[in-house]
Amino acid sequence: MLGIIIGIAAVLTVLIIGDGMKATVNSEMDSIGATSISVSLDNTKTDKTITKQQLRDIENNIEGIYGISPSTTDFGTVVGRKGTVDMYMTGGSESMIERGQIKMVHGRYFSRSDVDEDKRVVVLSQTAADYIFGYEEVVGETFEMDCYGLTSEFTVVGIREDNTMDKAYALYGGDEVIVMGEAPFTAVADSFGYDVDSYISSFTIYLDSVNKDEVLSRARSVVENILGLRGENAVKISSGSGFDQTTESILNIITSVVAIIAAISLLVGGIGVMNIMTVSVTERTREIGIRKSLGARTSSILTQFLAEAAILTFTGGIIGMAFGMGISFVICRIVDFSFVVRPELVVLVVAISTAIGLFFGIYPAKRAAKLDPIEALRTE
Amino acid sequence: MKKLVEIKDVCKIYNPGENEVRALNHVTLTIGEGEFVAIIGQSGSGKSTLMNMLGCLDTPTSGKYFLHGQDVSHMTDDEQSDVRNREIGFIFQGFNLIPSLTALENVELPLIYRGVSKKERERLANSALNSVGLEKRKTHKPNEMSGGQQQRVAIARAIAQAPPILLADEPTGNLDTASTKEIIRIIKRLYHEGRTVIIITHDPGIAKQAKRIITISDGMIQSDIINPDYKE
Repeated sequence: MLGIIIGIAAVLTVLIIGDGMKATVNSEMDSIGATSISVSLDNTKTDKTITKQQLRDIENNIEGIYGISPSTTDFGTVVGRKGTVDMYMTGGSESMIERGQIKMVHGRYFSRSDVDEDKRVVVLSQTAADYIFGYEEVVGETFEMDCYGLTSEFTVVGIREDNTMDKAYALYGGDEVIVMGEAPFTAVADSFGYDVDSYISSFTIYLDSVNKDEVLSRARSVVENILGLRGENAVKISSGSGFDQTTESILNIITSVVAIIAAISLLVGGIGVMNIMTVSVTERTREIGIRKSLGARTSSILTQFLAEAAILTFTGGIIGMAFGMGISFVICRIVDFSFVVRPELVVLVVAISTAIGLFFGIYPAKRAAKLDPIEALRTE
Repeated sequence: MKKLVEIKDVCKIYNPGENEVRALNHVTLTIGEGEFVAIIGQSGSGKSTLMNMLGCLDTPTSGKYFLHGQDVSHMTDDEQSDVRNREIGFIFQGFNLIPSLTALENVELPLIYRGVSKKERERLANSALNSVGLEKRKTHKPNEMSGGQQQRVAIARAIAQAPPILLADEPTGNLDTASTKEIIRIIKRLYHEGRTVIIITHDPGIAKQAKRIITISDGMIQSDIINPDYKE
């Protein structure tokens, strides 16, 4: 009995912790915006670009997404309170907030109408606000940025928390200070002398759930249709960042390792049942002899021992289930994984262990049933 | 008197070949319905083999065994089980009760294998236990009872299904004098109630309680007499 309890508790613990780990890693990935798809035009195959209107059309024709956003980067300088700083200005649509790691501390992110109306508004990082204005709460303030010989005025609509990029530039920028800001790509194009309809050749699709495969399959045809690039193989689509793929393959490895461990544990549990049944048959040889002398048929003995094996493994399964859930709950708490119990998993484990118990109970039960009553009665 | 047991020229040979042991050597024996027979012999005389043969626990190497006119010499395991269940009530020297079951459950066992309904089983088992004077011990397990009481449970188990033959193998071998008397008294009563009783023993004191005494040695029947000292 103990063998089965430990076996099943071990299997369940491993599986539940495995599930918890996957759920935790998945939610971490969501929080850093890993659920995205990159789309770009292959400039060796086409010289087309994507217009502002086409971007909106693509966005409207793919279901199940937050939105899409291009991501342009322009480099300029700003004369701020603490001297002149270099600035990376990222141009995107309002959906870029889904890129992750964006936590607003003041004001708001720029909006859809800001994008549509080419509003020269900007969201600054805390560091950027500090360098340009000397303090953080600068919503509504304006500053001028020089880029490629053009000077444009931007109005601050929001301040966001510094992200890893800000921190990286702060660390490695040396004497030069580089700060970050985000603005509507329409306004950026307008300010720095681009034609807004001829400089976008890539964008990112932000997913609102885990329907990545569905979106992947739809995105290509939508993009090819809208851009008139059918059959030219000029659209490159990659499912998220390399980080995403690496994580996924690591998760797959973990899943298979967990499955192998689970299978071994179940096997060990089954062999435990067989041992217990064999011992039980040996201990009760005399009882079997008595039963046979009283008229028990081979099948009656077989049924009795199989039923006992089933009850044994089922009871052991239930107790092991309780232990397994308790242990995994505690472990998940300690290592800060989410505690997820899939009911079908629990049912499956108990069912499989009972089945294994029965399977491994057959051999000793058959041995018991075939005992010669005279021999069996002679044993003490 | 109707023939119940007919053993015709039965041999049982172990280790056939050079070192063969003839446990039964051309035994012929007839026992009628309602007889009270003791089979007496020393250890190694073949009486246990004869008892196993009579109880359908074993099959002869040669010869025939008819029980109730049915040839039971060559049957499968399951057929033997069915015959034992229907025809024979065993009373063993070591009681052979199942330790994990109560007295009542032990008595019900052969009825379970016969397929009797739960209600009927309980009725039969209760009346069998009453008839051996164990009304108050029904829920006791074997280790909570004395040897004499355990043997009475075993007798109740043997008679619950009302088999034609009671086969008692050294029924008092493990008992003290008082319990022995009690068990012999019950066995005699069962005989008077019309059952066929066969006692296998090495003890002449027990054997002379029976009406007919068959002596066996070296696998052969040496004598088969009506007991002149038999008292009702």
